Amino acid sequence: MNLLSELNCYGTCFTLSAPFIALLVVISIALLSASLMLRRPKQKLITFVSSQAVVFLSVALTFYLMDCSYMLTLYLYLGYAITSTVLIFGVLRYYDRIMVRRLDAKPMGSIMKWAQEFVDNLVQVQAKLYYFDSAIPRAFASGKSIFVSIGLLELLNDEELKAVLAHEAWHIFNNSQTPYPKQLAFMTFSSSESEFENMADRFAAEIAGRGALTSARSKVDKVFI
Amino acid sequence: MVKLDQINISNDGLTKFFSPIEASILKTLWNEGEMTTSELTEKTKIPLTSVAGTLDRLVKAGYAARRMENVNGRVRYVYEPVFSEEEAANEITTKILDSLVDAFGPLALANFSKYSDKK
Repeated sequence: MNLLSELNCYGTCFTLSAPFIALLVVISIALLSASLMLRRPKQKLITFVSSQAVVFLSVALTFYLMDCSYMLTLYLYLGYAITSTVLIFGVLRYYDRIMVRRLDAKPMGSIMKWAQEFVDNLVQVQAKLYYFDSAIPRAFASGKSIFVSIGLLELLNDEELKAVLAHEAWHIFNNSQTPYPKQLAFMTFSSSESEFENMADRFAAEIAGRGALTSARSKVDKVFI
Repeated sequence: MVKLDQINISNDGLTKFFSPIEASILKTLWNEGEMTTSELTEKTKIPLTSVAGTLDRLVKAGYAARRMENVNGRVRYVYEPVFSEEEAANEITTKILDSLVDAFGPLALANFSKYSDKK
């Protein structure tokens, strides 16, 4: 079989350079996982790009070190591209579950039933509302979940909280409408961030009133995104 | 800092061992006992944006404890000190004496007895 003979070729062609290429692959996997874990967009981008660069380097190296057919290398890169893409989208999609565990977040229904019901009636997408233990007022959306800190619940009155929840629910709805490539572009090159934020704010003002949104923003500026 | 890994000998009072905000929160908790977040910001006159992060840190480091209260649909934290002022003083003193003996051995011990004779 063609593939088998190519595999054989791998064995004979690069017994010497194999550890080096393996090292490059390990480095690129480490960089990729770092880019998934880092939070700052800039660091995310840098690690993601360098991970891709290292893979490209190892592919180029394989290309030059082999005297046989180049097809298998191509297959390998294709395999890598597919696995890493699936991994990224998988993590994007289930990132809220990771956050629930990391923050030890609990369903909001147990302390403020009306808030979960309010979110249920907002948009077509079912969003689950969680609270987590922190005095710092914060709110964010991830996957299909909205997270708010107890510090935020302490600070805002019901109308202001509604404005924040509507803002976050819009993000979740928007994520579900946006195709994955655009989401990825947004994640790495977050240039259209302010545009999304403005749209989320407009929706929040429509639902909860401009006044509630403004007073929520003035109390907790830049802590809900 | 809360973990007592940095001591600023030149600072005053508790701020030798804690940041000014940490010290002011701890002192208030020792004086008043249980307090909510808004009571703390009022008493210490420090804005919430500075107090909130410090409170998280004090809880994580084990100097303060908090529970969540749900009153009439409003959620709030109630804080209390984990150690009394005396217990905290004991812990800090022991840690510093330990580190002095660790660094200087018998020399430190000789100085301790000189110091207690003077007093």
